[in-house]
Amino acid sequence: MNQSPDGTGPVPLLQVEAVSCRFGGLLALDQVSLALEEGEIFGLIGPNGAGKTTLFNVISGLTPPSGGRCLWRGAPTTGLGASGLNRLGIARTFQNLRLFESLSVRENVLVGLHHAARTPLLGALLGNGAFRRHQRGLEARAMELLTLLELEALAEQRAGDLPYGDRRRLEIARALATAPRLLLLDEPAAGMNPAEKDDLRRLIGTIREHFTLTVLIIEHHVPLMMQLCDRLAVLNFGRRIALGSPAEVRTDPQVIEAYLGGSGGAGGDGR
Amino acid sequence: MDAALLEQMLLGALLALSVYLPLRCGQLSLATPGFYAVGGYVAALLSTGVPAFAGSGATSPLPALVAEMVLGGALAGLIALAIGGPVLRLRGIYLAIATIALVEILRVLNLNLPFTGGAMGIFGIPQPFAHAEGYVLFTLALLALACWLCQRLEALRLGRAMAAIRDDELAAACVGIDTPRTKLIAFVASAVLAGVTGALAAHFLNSWNARAGSFDASITTLAFVVFGGSRLWPGPVLGGLVLTALPELLRPVGDLRLILFGAVILLGPLFFPQGLVTAERLHWLAARLGRGHHRSRQAPQTP
Amino acid sequence: MDLLQILVNGLSVGAVYGLFALGYTLVFSVLGVINFAHGAVFTLGAYFTYLLIGGAVGANGLLAGFQLPVALPFWGALPLAGLGAALVALLVERVAFRPLHRRRADPLLALITSLGAGVILVNLIQLLVGAESYAIPTGALGGLPASFPLLGARVRTVQALLLGIAVVLLALLTLWLEGSRNGKGLQAVAEDPETAQLLGIDSTAMVRLAFGLSGFLAGVAGGLVGLSVSIAGPYFGIGYGLKGLAVLVLGGLGSVPGAVLGGLIVGLAEAFVPADWSGYKDAVSYGFLFLVLLLRPRGLLGRPLPTKV
Repeated sequence: MNQSPDGTGPVPLLQVEAVSCRFGGLLALDQVSLALEEGEIFGLIGPNGAGKTTLFNVISGLTPPSGGRCLWRGAPTTGLGASGLNRLGIARTFQNLRLFESLSVRENVLVGLHHAARTPLLGALLGNGAFRRHQRGLEARAMELLTLLELEALAEQRAGDLPYGDRRRLEIARALATAPRLLLLDEPAAGMNPAEKDDLRRLIGTIREHFTLTVLIIEHHVPLMMQLCDRLAVLNFGRRIALGSPAEVRTDPQVIEAYLGGSGGAGGDGR
Repeated sequence: MDAALLEQMLLGALLALSVYLPLRCGQLSLATPGFYAVGGYVAALLSTGVPAFAGSGATSPLPALVAEMVLGGALAGLIALAIGGPVLRLRGIYLAIATIALVEILRVLNLNLPFTGGAMGIFGIPQPFAHAEGYVLFTLALLALACWLCQRLEALRLGRAMAAIRDDELAAACVGIDTPRTKLIAFVASAVLAGVTGALAAHFLNSWNARAGSFDASITTLAFVVFGGSRLWPGPVLGGLVLTALPELLRPVGDLRLILFGAVILLGPLFFPQGLVTAERLHWLAARLGRGHHRSRQAPQTP
Repeated sequence: MDLLQILVNGLSVGAVYGLFALGYTLVFSVLGVINFAHGAVFTLGAYFTYLLIGGAVGANGLLAGFQLPVALPFWGALPLAGLGAALVALLVERVAFRPLHRRRADPLLALITSLGAGVILVNLIQLLVGAESYAIPTGALGGLPASFPLLGARVRTVQALLLGIAVVLLALLTLWLEGSRNGKGLQAVAEDPETAQLLGIDSTAMVRLAFGLSGFLAGVAGGLVGLSVSIAGPYFGIGYGLKGLAVLVLGGLGSVPGAVLGGLIVGLAEAFVPADWSGYKDAVSYGFLFLVLLLRPRGLLGRPLPTKV
């Protein structure tokens, strides 16, 4: 494990330090801080509009924060951008699904293997033996990932033609192809029935073991999150109102207020 | 068909491929005629002004032509490299209009610079080939090379990255693709191809002036791609060949020919919104020919 | 040249650019596409004006020697020419835009179909009236003098008129957009077509209205330019069309005041290009456009579009 320079403990994989995000008059994130330890499944819950996806966008480099910063293994990630952060080891899925719709399922995963696909240009143009071997290796890795996510039978289908649940899994496969250390899942269970949600929970467990991943997950379905996550943070109106184990969060009065107090009541002191 | 028309068609196909390359990663650039004009001026100036390129009398040596094409392509590519960074941050119609502006700026420069021959341009450009047939063979080889590169692109990391950006630029960045760099590569490649084509065309046409790179040409070359199909490289090639030939083939109808040409451009996208060449039609054709030529290109697309 | 005169020159040219860009903006704001036939509609407006004041067709073209039996004063001819241009714009909408809009096709296709419509119109003009240039005689203005003194400078009447008519039209359009039911409907469709539909606004009718208005403005602009610098041939709208595009983006796509501001800036900038550099005048607007796009990609008055993840 990485040790911090002063030897006081392991450096967290990702630290979010007092991140704020302002869109015009709206403060979507207000001084949010949290730290992810390597290997944990960390949940992010909160009512609609609490700023969860905005936090994902900041962490994955799509939205520059108006204040604060993120640290990856102790080093600031400011200015890296989405592709730079992905190459560091952060991959994500999207709430509204953003697949490469005109490409096949297999090609979507191959695009995810972009970082691994670097070969000498001349050999690639001529399609020489080394290039073909490399290519076969990539195809094999892609099929492995598709098999893991039970998509292998659909490999040649156009991604845009897949049913909803398969698209969700394909997005995870594509993210995994980039060999991440941290996987951000934005509402992966949205639109799934209870059986599918159960499958998804098992799947997330499997991929954590298989890839020794750290997972940060946004999900509305609180029971699922309580079962799945090692720790949870609760956002409300852009502020982190609770952080801890599922048991701690469940009994936190502020969380109960945010979830049960009705959105009107919680809004009063939330801003 | 006469060789001169065939040559024009081949040049049209090359320009269509130049428009296709940025479009392959979702970038609507209309700068192709500007780079085409630049390449042509490089060839025209070198072959009429520099003894090493000029050869004797009205003929010029073939190696000089190749060198001019390389230099014309290089200058166009350098211009694209210099402006590509900021320009390619623009999206959609903004990018299209910025590239139209670039074409117009280049046109005004070509019209007014002290060495480009003003409105008359540069004429008496020497001929590396005695007959149009020579040009046709040479251009055919160039087109074949360009098509081969486009076909290879499908199998390459770069080609997949371009396709991913076309579908969803933001998601492409999130899987680690350096999207600005990939778009810049496509833009520069497009410029180089247009510059090379311009250098060749300047010799073939024997004279060169600022009209080579105009707004009309921007839209006409875009029409090649939209008409032929913007998804697969055979689309722009077919579009370039057909739409270049069309006004000539319509000559018998006299004054109506440009009206009919307009009607074809108007009706083409209405009846063939995907362009003439689509994956299904290629599959069908491949099946008819009994060969799996485009086997690699996945299941049929639904519109 | 006198500063005031340069100013009036610049403003009057800029006002025409603004009128022109406004037509683009109206269509862009409701459909999100650029109408490349706009330049051809402008050209038609100029020819309509010429015919309506009693001008005769030259020796070329199928209509050689044709002359309308009436000879209207310029004041009467201009709005009629605008109406004619509006009808043509509606036809362009019907043929080149509606079939694509209805099946939600790629906006790229509308660039090509509208260009096709433009090519047809321009070549139809050439076929009918030939490629020669036509001048609208200033005599059509009645007894007005060719120029008049203003603050010690001489200003061409035509240019003052250009400026005045453009300003009046812009003011009327703004009032109409803000104050009338249809104007507000048009804005609602531009804002969010689906919500507008839910509110009971007929978006197809609004699209037609946008095309009609844009055609009218283009036609009037064409007539005014025809009066001030003559009609240089069937292709003379293309240059204006391109410059209008630069003006449009300069001001911000979809912004009405932006189109006007962009037009005035470009007109003034061109007017101040020194005579020795006049060859480069046409590049001024594009240079400006380029700069603005790089510094402020949404244009001067354009609103930033939210990116939704």
